[in-house]
Amino acid sequence: MSEIKEAKEIFEEFREHSVAEFFTKNKQMLGFSGKVRSLTTVIHEYVTNSLDACEEAGILPDITVKITTLPDDNVLVKVSDNGPGIPLDHVGKALGMMLAGTKFHRYMQQRGQQGIGAAGCTMFAQLTSGKPVHIKTSTGNGKVIECNVSINVKTNEPTVSDITEYDAEYRGIEITAEFADVKYDRSDYGPLEYLKRTAIANPHAEILFIDPEGRKVRFPRVSDVMPDRPHEVLPHPLGLEPHVLYNMMRISPARKISSFLTSELARVSSSKVEELKSLLPQLDFDISPKDIAWEDARRLVKAFKRIKWIAPSADGLRPIGKEQVEIALRSLLNPEFVSVRSRPPKVYKGGVPFIVEVAIAYGGGAGRRTGSTNAEIMRFANRSPLLFDAGGCAITKAIKSVDWKRYEVKDFENAPISIFVNVVSAFVPYTGAGKQSIASEPEVLDEIKFAVMDVARDLNRYLLGKVRVARKEAKRKAILRYIHQLALNLPLLANSGDPEMLEKKLTKMVFEKFKAEEAEEKKEVKLRKIMVEESSGEEGKSDEEGGIEFDEEDM
Amino acid sequence: MVKGRKVDNVAYERLVNLGRETLQEINSDTSPSFYAPVRSRSNVSFSEDTGTLVLGDKKEKRTFVHVSQAKKFMQTIAIAAKLKKFLEEGLHTSIRGLFYQLKFSLGEDLDEELFSEQSESNPLIEDLEASLDLKREDFNLSTDRKGVVAGNMIIKDRFGGEENTIDASKQGRSGWMIPSDVDNDMEFVDVNADYVLVVEKDALWQRLNEDKFWKKNNCILITPKGQASRGTRRLIRKLADMKLPVYVFTDCDAWGWYIYWAIKTGSMNLAYLTKHLATPEARFIGVTMSDINEYDFLNKLTIKAKDVDIKRAEEMKSYPWISRHKEWVEELDIVLKTKKKLEQDAL
Repeated sequence: MSEIKEAKEIFEEFREHSVAEFFTKNKQMLGFSGKVRSLTTVIHEYVTNSLDACEEAGILPDITVKITTLPDDNVLVKVSDNGPGIPLDHVGKALGMMLAGTKFHRYMQQRGQQGIGAAGCTMFAQLTSGKPVHIKTSTGNGKVIECNVSINVKTNEPTVSDITEYDAEYRGIEITAEFADVKYDRSDYGPLEYLKRTAIANPHAEILFIDPEGRKVRFPRVSDVMPDRPHEVLPHPLGLEPHVLYNMMRISPARKISSFLTSELARVSSSKVEELKSLLPQLDFDISPKDIAWEDARRLVKAFKRIKWIAPSADGLRPIGKEQVEIALRSLLNPEFVSVRSRPPKVYKGGVPFIVEVAIAYGGGAGRRTGSTNAEIMRFANRSPLLFDAGGCAITKAIKSVDWKRYEVKDFENAPISIFVNVVSAFVPYTGAGKQSIASEPEVLDEIKFAVMDVARDLNRYLLGKVRVARKEAKRKAILRYIHQLALNLPLLANSGDPEMLEKKLTKMVFEKFKAEEAEEKKEVKLRKIMVEESSGEEGKSDEEGGIEFDEEDM
Repeated sequence: MVKGRKVDNVAYERLVNLGRETLQEINSDTSPSFYAPVRSRSNVSFSEDTGTLVLGDKKEKRTFVHVSQAKKFMQTIAIAAKLKKFLEEGLHTSIRGLFYQLKFSLGEDLDEELFSEQSESNPLIEDLEASLDLKREDFNLSTDRKGVVAGNMIIKDRFGGEENTIDASKQGRSGWMIPSDVDNDMEFVDVNADYVLVVEKDALWQRLNEDKFWKKNNCILITPKGQASRGTRRLIRKLADMKLPVYVFTDCDAWGWYIYWAIKTGSMNLAYLTKHLATPEARFIGVTMSDINEYDFLNKLTIKAKDVDIKRAEEMKSYPWISRHKEWVEELDIVLKTKKKLEQDAL
């Protein structure tokens, strides 16, 4: 069951039926499979939308998620934010029309990309509980709108009903949706874990979660630094899936396919169009892109892969940043040790840029706690937590392939370790439409492994230091034991001397020596720190050079 | 008897002195230290004057207020205190016995012992011997007995409050077992022989004993049973002091030859004791590698040299007090080349 085949089916039917109708029958493709996963998907879609909207508007996000279990076992989800809100005439499109979201035709590195998210939830609510989604929103203009939204599945048209409008000071959006066939639990796959990880990847967000038993969990904002606003970049031919291209063309204002290609895709010049024409002689590049056949869109994507392209720009990539990740991990896990690395951009598939950010946290609250402590792998793609399909994910594979014993970690599975990996790209190579796992592209896999090894080396250094300190401490304690024995034996040997007095004198001598040694060590540590800072400065420089090299290669 | 007492007193005094000095250092708020001569090869050299190995001046300092030296210092003092007690009570023990007396836990609920292996206490005993310029026997400490003697020799042995007269010519098939200490409370009343013959192996000694070789040739017949113990070496030294020529008969291999050299010049580990233990007058007898080349009947008796023989040959070549003798280097080179040996029993 290849993805392409599924997608092909989607869009062949699309001409007669609506995309909404298709997803009704294939809701697992949107992540609605299994009761626990479905609920996490709902939370993911809403929270992601809120974060993206706040960022774009330059607002530090405050997000509240409340889950209530109703007497009939239905689950009520309420997600609210302090974002820019949605004007009434956009509410329907945003929440009641598949593939119509603002993200869809704007290619930037954002958490959500398909534009089916929130509308998919509306459809899912409708399918399971039969109820529309309730919206309360305001753009902060003093007028608050409340309404219900549902989807006409046959036509993929939104239905907005029960509109009320009143005056109040409010800005943001509050979505209330009721679902059946979902289940709340506190497992690693549930909403709480999802929000915890979201908080780690978004230290600028304040997230409050209220679970069905009324317990509140607050993930406080630990940084006031707003992420850079995403640069809008045109999609690169190598990053396109057939269904995405097909849809872009269907809504494109361009008059011809050739002009669509040069104006709406990155790095497509007229000479590249000529190359494509020679590869696809049967396709008329002068027809309107709206008239493209699904099969031709698929052929185009295939042809893209046969041409040598200038790599997409890495400008749009926004890693979370070393400091931000460190602040987040420190405040959430309170670990003994943290090391964070953000590596320079690399490319996969011959030209798709990506960045890998990695952090390792050791001790304290690090690691998973399921009775005993286990190593925890926190996977992210563009800051969005990946909770499912861990086994097949390149991040998991890369971490498991590291020989941890070499880094003083004797038993990785049971170590108090949390590893954070964020793969940043405008075109993250997901393994499937569920977007829960990263494909093992060789360059991506290697890069993750190298990054993990970087932080593992730091951990190794820390652990070795710890062992040294412990050994020294043990030896010092031992000396105090030896004092007693020496003080007993010496008077027997010398025929004079008092054991008690000797013990006191020797103890004093030993403690004074230790104090002097500690002072000396502190001096050394300071010196070492300065040296490390200097060397890491050099490292940063060489990283930059790597980046420049990469750009030159592309020219 | 008077001589024995005097040595006892010296040992006792030196031990108490070590204690007093240590005490003084602590009273003046300095970390107490112990100096022991370095006993490794770097501090061992050959003396032309004495014809033996001698220990150099290099000393190792061991101080208490130091994370890696504290334990050894404390252990050294514990041994010294124990030895002093033995002298006070007039009791003897072996170095193994001493180890067991000092193998106890350093405190309740502690799994650390004062000494947990004999390999910890042995070198510290040697440090004390070298540092105080005494033999362990002076501290009433003995080493494992090894080595047997037969011949016209009468010894008075005062031990455990009794005096026994030992006649080494009347010890039958087993001979007299050489004790660790042949000095303190031991008196050589009468030695009547023309020379001393040391044979490497006990099997050959038994053959010669049964054949009454020592009686017919009027010699003292000794076997160290391999590498010579301290007591055996000391006995050979004492017999040489009585102007008896000493001949050492070993296997024709590097291992056997080194037994001869250790008797002659002393060993590196006991270089601090060579004046008591080495017998530079000793002469080698036995088959040589060049003999094997010359006499065909000998060549037929050879067997393949073992790895330890080859290794020992290489080591011996690197010792300057051996490599200065051209004929020995030639012999060793033949061993390394032919990788053959000949055992004394084969003759």
